[in-house]
Amino acid sequence: MKKLTQIIWRCVGFPGTAIVVFLAAFTWLAIGCSTAGNSASTASGKGGAQLWGENCQRCHNTRSPSTYNDAQWEVAMMHMRVRANLTPEEHKAILEFLQSAH
Amino acid sequence: MRTLFPVLLTLLLLGSTGIYAQENKPPSEDYVSRAEYDKLKSEHEAMKEELEGLKTTVRQMANGTVPAPAEGPSTTTKALDGKQVVTEATPQSDLDALHKEVDTLKSEIKGVVPGTTKFLLAGYGTAGFTARSGEDPFFDASFNAIFLWKLTDRLLFEGELEFEFEDGNTTTNLEIAQASYLLNDYMTIGVGRFLNPMDYFVERQHMNWVNKFPDKPLAVYDGLLPESELGAQLRGVIPIGPTKLEYAAFVANAPGLITTPGDFSTLGMLDFDNLANAGGHVAVGGHVGFIPIPELEVGYGIQRSTVGPRDQAVEAILQSVDFNYVRDSTLLKGLINFRAQWVWSHVGHFIYDPDGGQGFGPFEFNNNRNGGYVQLAYRPTGFGNIIKNFEPVVRYDRLNQLHTPVGFDEQRWSFGLDYWLTSSTVIKAAYELDNKNAGARDQDAFMLQVAVGF
Repeated sequence: MKKLTQIIWRCVGFPGTAIVVFLAAFTWLAIGCSTAGNSASTASGKGGAQLWGENCQRCHNTRSPSTYNDAQWEVAMMHMRVRANLTPEEHKAILEFLQSAH
Repeated sequence: MRTLFPVLLTLLLLGSTGIYAQENKPPSEDYVSRAEYDKLKSEHEAMKEELEGLKTTVRQMANGTVPAPAEGPSTTTKALDGKQVVTEATPQSDLDALHKEVDTLKSEIKGVVPGTTKFLLAGYGTAGFTARSGEDPFFDASFNAIFLWKLTDRLLFEGELEFEFEDGNTTTNLEIAQASYLLNDYMTIGVGRFLNPMDYFVERQHMNWVNKFPDKPLAVYDGLLPESELGAQLRGVIPIGPTKLEYAAFVANAPGLITTPGDFSTLGMLDFDNLANAGGHVAVGGHVGFIPIPELEVGYGIQRSTVGPRDQAVEAILQSVDFNYVRDSTLLKGLINFRAQWVWSHVGHFIYDPDGGQGFGPFEFNNNRNGGYVQLAYRPTGFGNIIKNFEPVVRYDRLNQLHTPVGFDEQRWSFGLDYWLTSSTVIKAAYELDNKNAGARDQDAFMLQVAVGF
């Protein structure tokens, strides 16, 4: 273990080690939550329209729901989930809103 | 290999644990939307009505009220609202033609019904004009096509091609080629070429229909940080009560170190187009962003690697802090958009041209540079039709590199006015006041640009 720690330290230094430790801790936390069947997210109680405004507007103008069809919004929202780090609840609520509003 | 081993081991562990988690938790996208529910319900109602009609007809046929249909040309009788209606028989040839038409339609529909893969072509295009003091004015244009494939509910592939004019030629760049897999609700792994996660402007703001100026700020774009990384990343979000913590971590090819420059001012800079990973180094980095309220995000990013020849490798550390505040203010009757980012680049002490063969050495120094921008925009969305489409914007950006071979610092004040034709189509006009020290020439500029996102 000590040898492994030394190898990691030599390779990636303090910033890299900090990131690895952070990710390891977070992975443990996330896996724990997932396997327990509990969601670590909170129910914000916000509707899809509100989440659409809050999350999209932080980076760019909100696009009209009529911009894409239902299938296209599915793809666009998955892209945004990855790029903008949306939670699954936000992803679902915003997609439902966009598909129902056009 | 010694450098790669712990990084690959970590990724392997994280990937395998994520897959384990996925098997224990169903995908969160398995749901039926309201629109789908309503559609199914209406189809169900129609089928019920049709079934009732058929039942009525069968009952009438059993009672002898309506004769059973006969094959071949004949006269048939239909019951409508309790009345007997006599209709002419349909000739067999017409029925055959109808069947043929139905078969053709079935075949055509089958040809256009989408498979399990869903695809979206998005992107943006620009056309612009720049008049910069000391240079010939010019028009330019560019086009970025973004290809998105949703292969499953967990797997996405995205590719971006950029077409632009450069030195009199049309160039094509592969900006993104990344496969992303949702390991679980809070972790996504991506492999390939992806936008640099530690640079907020590059990842979220550089697209021309998003960026509010015709040009990009100093230092944060095409400056001190790479625009993209070639490797693997792990990213996601952790909801903490009403707040959120975003994270991203990556391993990638390390940048190269420019030791034999064509232009002396680039000596000691990092070559971010080190696609072949000359030197064999690995870069490790990440970004953490905190969103305490929906309007605000603050973040910190870092990338660390060794660069240069294997036997003389030195450390390179890139850091970035970002601040983004966007609020729709009822008091100011409009949308406030405030962004700031500052970055630092450090390349360790290196002896360039040690034997004097290139004519300037030996020359040794630490290459430390920094810079960033602050930008404020206001869009009066609470006002009338025309006014609400305007958006004045001001930006200050700076790049400090006086004590490097570049030999001067640069700062700029930029004033712009945007007019939004749609939510993703904008006309921008800007004037830039440039100021360099150490005797370098200032280059004020006037710029126009039309950007379309689609």
